[in-house]
Amino acid sequence: MLWNLLDQDPLTQSYDVIVVGSGATGGWAAKQCAEAGLKVALLEAGRAVSPTEFTEHTPAFKLKYRDHSPEVVRTRPVQKQCYACMEYNYEWFVNDLENPYSTPADKPFTWQRLRVLGGRSLVWGRQSYRMSDNDLKAASRDGYGDDWPISYADLAPYYDIVEKYVGITGAAEGNEMLPDGQFLPPMKMSCGEILLRERAKAKFGRTVTIGRAAVLTQPHNGRNACHYCGPCERGCRTFSYFSSPFTTVADAQNSGNCNVITNAVVSHVNMDNAANKAAGVTFVDRLTRQVKEVRGKAVIVCAQAMESTRILLNSSTREYSSGLANSSGALGHYLMDHVVGGGASGRLPDFKATPNANEPQRPNGIYVPRFRNTPTSGKHSRFIRGYGFQGGAGPEFDFGAEGYGASFKSAVKQGLYSASFGGFGESLARWDNYIEIDKNLKDAWGIPALRISMSHGENEAALMEDAAATAAEMLEAAGAKDIKIQSRVEMPGMAIHELGTARMGTDPKRSVLNPFNQTHDVKNLFVMDGASFVSSACQNPTLSMMAITVRACTHLIDRFKRSDV
Amino acid sequence: MKRRDLLRAGVLTGAAAALRPPIAAAQSPAAAAQTNELTPAQRGVDASKDLASPNWKPLFFDEHQNETLIVLSDLIIPVTETPGAKAALVNRYIDLVLAAETRENQRAFLNSLSYLDGESMRRYKSAFRYLSASDQNDLLHSLAYPNAGSGWTGEAATPSPGHTHFELLKQRVGIAYYNSEIGTNRELGWDGNFTHGTYQGCDHEGNHK
Repeated sequence: MLWNLLDQDPLTQSYDVIVVGSGATGGWAAKQCAEAGLKVALLEAGRAVSPTEFTEHTPAFKLKYRDHSPEVVRTRPVQKQCYACMEYNYEWFVNDLENPYSTPADKPFTWQRLRVLGGRSLVWGRQSYRMSDNDLKAASRDGYGDDWPISYADLAPYYDIVEKYVGITGAAEGNEMLPDGQFLPPMKMSCGEILLRERAKAKFGRTVTIGRAAVLTQPHNGRNACHYCGPCERGCRTFSYFSSPFTTVADAQNSGNCNVITNAVVSHVNMDNAANKAAGVTFVDRLTRQVKEVRGKAVIVCAQAMESTRILLNSSTREYSSGLANSSGALGHYLMDHVVGGGASGRLPDFKATPNANEPQRPNGIYVPRFRNTPTSGKHSRFIRGYGFQGGAGPEFDFGAEGYGASFKSAVKQGLYSASFGGFGESLARWDNYIEIDKNLKDAWGIPALRISMSHGENEAALMEDAAATAAEMLEAAGAKDIKIQSRVEMPGMAIHELGTARMGTDPKRSVLNPFNQTHDVKNLFVMDGASFVSSACQNPTLSMMAITVRACTHLIDRFKRSDV
Repeated sequence: MKRRDLLRAGVLTGAAAALRPPIAAAQSPAAAAQTNELTPAQRGVDASKDLASPNWKPLFFDEHQNETLIVLSDLIIPVTETPGAKAALVNRYIDLVLAAETRENQRAFLNSLSYLDGESMRRYKSAFRYLSASDQNDLLHSLAYPNAGSGWTGEAATPSPGHTHFELLKQRVGIAYYNSEIGTNRELGWDGNFTHGTYQGCDHEGNHK
């Protein structure tokens, strides 16, 4: 049963640990701490979520607007910029009118947010890749920025723990830029993808591998294997892709040591100034607007990189006038988001396109690990760091077929065999990409909102230009026709991989967190999410965020055992 | 809550409970209390028959625009061995969407529809929907294949405004048709099942050298 839920008000108790945010990292923090015997309050700004509201098996024709709703845009003009926000599930995404932020006019930024138990883990892309020391120690190798204070050897055991629990499908490749992990059996590649793999290796020495994804290819830890229905972002009634409410958060609750408090919009951390310790958090009840407090011996923010930092910026005290735990001045700075917009697509005429509405839908693509500026490739003349590709190849209906009439209908069904690669490039950590509190803007709960100032630079633009060229040459090597090259820099936020703003480091004068995600300034305050990243690498970051969280929690639990909190 | 919503909620809660009892027990009441924060799809609303009402009236189009769109859509996607756009009520769907669209998108659609009539008036002295089938076809052909006839002389393709208007109308018709029940089930042949086994991929490895 849930721990003393019935006989005590969850708000009057004193917890060992307060976790703010229930997504990929918050779920892990709650699970690790609760299972270690610590009393945990897990605060989520949104409501609870139930499998009864999953819509992955609803055909579009049952929807009023057949999934092309103009109404979604009215309340969610920002969220709709992401494919995953759709007529099916838009209520999972924040209402942009209630959750404003500002940017300078010449620096647009799209900020995708969910406020519901599980957060973005409900709709994420599931791609799961490890970082290597080529990423963590990149500064030592090319002279730009700062190394992480931790190495791959520090993280590897925690990647193992996370992967074994989550269930990551993938294939080992022995690639120097992309360490192998604890994989469930890989998903199969299509004919076109096999051809791309063979040609890319033969002609360019590049690896094309099946995507590594948090989707089960066999029953795993009480969850069922994927049934290949396709649209994971609408939910999964077999819980085959990883989302926190049905895994980590459920484990935390089942331990009997965790109270989940939903509709708790956290505004700030409360301090015991005399002791220089966090005493708990204040939140606004999302529905009633009542202001409430919850007390704990340690506070962990896992609210998403920018939301976590927003909470600290909104927690200023006399001692920390520019934001809590900000004696370094680095809080809010070094915001990153992978650069996207470079790639290519085409048609593979060697394969018969026989699209079929009754085929299994693979919720995964192919991946090309970074091949620029590697230990074996030598230095590129025009940019540092690199990019990876996500892509895919297969038959599809040709809805863009030419003409009209019976011949058009026939051409749509005849289909085409398409192939594409889209680049995800490293976003360099720069001081002048930052967030701050907009003093003139508050959200619907009266909490000061963010002003986001970020732009991609010349290095990111050069990465995408190169990505367009290398994507096209790989398609060409596989005999692709009608190759369309896309070489541009999408606005920051489009990758939905926001990182940084409370980076870790060994020097308290230049970083916010120590290598265990503990703030240098306040010993019982922790930031355990993407905010802690020192550099972005180019791999999808959620797996690394979870590994970093589990490592940090192990350290925190150890300190509780030594009564050192 | 409608009866089918209750049924759906009950059935699925049962299935979920078998897998992970604590979650279903702990979260369903809270979620149910906030059904106003679910999308219609998440509440299980089935809108697939809404447009078929015998009392249907356009929300956005006037009668001429509606009749023109019926004629045009059925030329773009005609009856073959499967039903066409008219049977799929493509005009009604586009009317519904446009009624909720931005003014800019509304204007763009009407502008393209008017372009069709304008060209029809200019060439045949009659609005598009009153033309003979053969004239309708000739006009559409000139818009759909704007570069036809220039290929063998090696002339570069030039985008024409007529083609742009045609493509805008065609795209709306295509989305409406292929996402309709007729388009999905009859034309594309979906069997109504959500699972079709495990993804098999390439089964002739080694033949792609």
